Amino acid sequence: MIQERQYYIDIFQTGPEEMKRLTAIALANGGDYCDLYFENTVMQIHQLIDGEVSSGGLNVDYGVGIRVLCGEKTGYAYSESTLPADMEAAAKAASAIAITSGSGAVKPVETRSTGAVYTAIGANGGREVRRLYTGAPNPAADRYPIILDWRTLSPSVAVEWLHKLEDGIKAADSRIRKITCSMSSQTSDYLMYNSFGELKYETRPMTTLQASLTAEQNGKKIVRNVSRSFRTGAEMLSETLIGEMVLEMTGNMDASFDARRPKGGEMPVVMGAGASGILLHEAMGHAFEADFNRKGQSIFSDKMGKRVCPEGINIVDDATIRGNRGSLNFDDEGVPGQRTMMVEDGILTSYLHDRISAKWYGVSPTGNGRRETFRSSPIPRMRATYMESGNADPEGIIASVRKGIYVNEFSNGQVKIGEGDFTFFVRRGYLIENGRLTEPVNDINVIGNGPQALSDIVAVGNDCLIDNGAWTCGKGQSAPVSCGMPTVLVKKLTVGGE
Amino acid sequence: MSCAISDAEIRIAENSVEAALDAGASAVQVTLDKACTDIVALLNGELDNIRHTGDRSLTFRLYSEGRYGVFSTNRLDDNGIRSFMKQAVEHLRLQAEDPFRKLPSETTGEAVRGDEMGLCWYGYDTVTGKDRIAAAESVSVFGKEGNEGKGWKLISEEVEYNNTLADTLLLDSSGTRCRQVETSFEVSAQATVQDRAGAKYSGFDWDYGISPDRISSSECGRKAVEEAVSQINPERIPGGKYTMVVDRKVCSKLINPIISGLGGLRIQQRSSFLTDTLDKKVFHEGMSLVDRPRVPGKCGSILFEPDGRACIDRDIIIEGVVKEYFINTYMSGKMGMEATSDTANRPVLLPFVNGNPGLTEALRKGEGILERDGILNICGDGILVTGFNGGNCNAATGEFSYGIEGFEFRNGVIVRPIESMLITGEMITLWNSLIAAGTDPMNGMSRQIPTLAFSDISFNS
Repeated sequence: MIQERQYYIDIFQTGPEEMKRLTAIALANGGDYCDLYFENTVMQIHQLIDGEVSSGGLNVDYGVGIRVLCGEKTGYAYSESTLPADMEAAAKAASAIAITSGSGAVKPVETRSTGAVYTAIGANGGREVRRLYTGAPNPAADRYPIILDWRTLSPSVAVEWLHKLEDGIKAADSRIRKITCSMSSQTSDYLMYNSFGELKYETRPMTTLQASLTAEQNGKKIVRNVSRSFRTGAEMLSETLIGEMVLEMTGNMDASFDARRPKGGEMPVVMGAGASGILLHEAMGHAFEADFNRKGQSIFSDKMGKRVCPEGINIVDDATIRGNRGSLNFDDEGVPGQRTMMVEDGILTSYLHDRISAKWYGVSPTGNGRRETFRSSPIPRMRATYMESGNADPEGIIASVRKGIYVNEFSNGQVKIGEGDFTFFVRRGYLIENGRLTEPVNDINVIGNGPQALSDIVAVGNDCLIDNGAWTCGKGQSAPVSCGMPTVLVKKLTVGGE
Repeated sequence: MSCAISDAEIRIAENSVEAALDAGASAVQVTLDKACTDIVALLNGELDNIRHTGDRSLTFRLYSEGRYGVFSTNRLDDNGIRSFMKQAVEHLRLQAEDPFRKLPSETTGEAVRGDEMGLCWYGYDTVTGKDRIAAAESVSVFGKEGNEGKGWKLISEEVEYNNTLADTLLLDSSGTRCRQVETSFEVSAQATVQDRAGAKYSGFDWDYGISPDRISSSECGRKAVEEAVSQINPERIPGGKYTMVVDRKVCSKLINPIISGLGGLRIQQRSSFLTDTLDKKVFHEGMSLVDRPRVPGKCGSILFEPDGRACIDRDIIIEGVVKEYFINTYMSGKMGMEATSDTANRPVLLPFVNGNPGLTEALRKGEGILERDGILNICGDGILVTGFNGGNCNAATGEFSYGIEGFEFRNGVIVRPIESMLITGEMITLWNSLIAAGTDPMNGMSRQIPTLAFSDISFNS
């Protein structure tokens, strides 16, 4: 939601002159750039346990982060108060990066420019690179307008929908013993100003509904979880959504009770459409984040312009999907959210940049500078990462595998950036035997190597699906993201098993 | 100390208790958390990042007409708090009553000043920006001798130094008053080396102390490089059953599912693989896990539970028998059980050598040491796990699958790094195959878990 500029000025009790003054204080010792990041977050939480919504709460978080850049060097401080004296103190603390005292301190460099473009002679063949985004936020282009604002609604709305979700789950299967449901609704106002004079402001919503069940049969116990999360207000909640979550939560329970771990080892893996996007997130998304590449740490740091996947594969990181958990009108550096083609026809075409790495590489920022809160300095992060659809029929992909595994529900993943070794944990899937899904499997970790796994993709389905679960990426700071993928066959990955 | 909770802030917390009661709460617990941190980071030996952080927040656990909620704010002006409390009490009224939500009947019962645990270094304010940069630079090895070796070179090094003062004050409407003040100083180094073929390997090491003198001689920069170099040219070894030794740096990963599984909520919700195990022998008789939260000066030591009750020494698992679940005040009422602790605050796994009760007893008395090399010797052949890469444990069944990295060892000696593998199994079975637990938990960890060894573990490659 994008409201009038004055709304944000009032919330943060500041103004253009005050912000300009603060950036001048922060740059008084030198430096190339300074930005201010104001945040006002209100989050409500409600939890249903044992049939009652008997626990909940409200959290208010308010403050301003001030950053000074000297080349790639960063000084950062924040204040939980927007009183002028407190913000001045933070600005002075951030300015310490530019103080030339003692060995190892950074000398201020005079590279300030007010031009809309700069020429990246050394880094990018003399091309002109855009770096200023001076326009005012445009409500007509808002990717997450709020229809039902949690800040003005009674908490009884959350209570009502939690009961509906629990009732739906409870009625679906008599083997269910316990159900917990929770809803969090977050609404955050942001105001961003920088030493180029750019001013951006917006309000970001996030509504997340989650449930977990325990079911028992003949002494065997299973736990299932489901979540949905969107950048929307309470309008996200509908009977359709509840029905979808209940079905996902309780569908095919027999398979879960029958599931076992397969014989482990290296085998073909068919990644089901949707949540399998975790493969992209872990296998290449992190390694494409430009800070890791700038520092020479990523396995992909010398692969720009080179083939990293078979022909025909396109991989995107996208901030433009309306209402998506990873979408942004602006990133946390005030750069417009955009759709970034990382891999085009199998060729690595772009890393994910914040302002620091973009300048270092001599390219425009891609709108990936994100931070958890005003307490953190922005770094390159993913948004909604997915592979575009290919041409293969998903059923044909499964039919092409003589012996392997099909996976379609995941929990967590991890990657080692330098080595490229990644893992993801499979909650549910099936064995593939002679081209057919046979026995259900569960609780197995899968490992692979990023570049190898990408080059081992041998079929891409025509059914790309974005998963709308509550994915949260950890890279020192938490960030809401989403992921997606069509059905994909990877020639071989190592699967844990008996 | 300038960052510690001031008298004015104590008054804010005290007034907040009154504000909550005035707004209609029948009881309230208020926690004032204040922390400040200074961070200096180097990239390849040069200053890259300086951060200064300072946080203050009030958290209210409100009780009203049998209803309960948790509310927090970092806007601490008196009018703002009173308005927030009114909003919070309104919020509570829409929730269902829960007769088990109440303040604990017994709290610390003592005047807790906050410095009893020796976790605070009173010279905190004397540390300057120059000191921080110098400390980080002393850790860095980039551009110094040892940057390049036979077939490898150091291509990236990140060093971070930080010092933190954390101060917590807990008050409630029945008169409980507790405080804990801690200082911590940490350095860490992450190194990436590249071999001649262009393959990259990373290593990480860190050091911690409550005062800077305890980390002044840290060698974590050098150790991070050594860890990265040690992994060059990993070899693929066949999957199968192996004896597994888990390094002390990462072995907490294997105790965490047990600690989670003994949590009261999980037990009450029947979503734990340890449901119905109280007072039963579940694990190997050599496994004894105790909680020792009141050892002065140690990482993880803590004075009081989140609800204000005193933290005390407790037995969690003794000779394989589950001695207690983690039951807080709420779960105590709900489950009809005596309250214990909220979780394992500073769990300590006692030393053990299978088949050698004499040595086990001696090690538990502190007579002798058993570190990683000694355990490798006891085991002979197997796989030494030095890192976990992802994976998970099913909370309901205890079935786990983790990615691992490490080394093959033969006759007690490390022979080669291995390519990433997977281990798969089930927690109770795993801990019943315990061969040895050492005496070498790391000082800077709140979970005091030493080097461990297990037999017959399934590895996949």
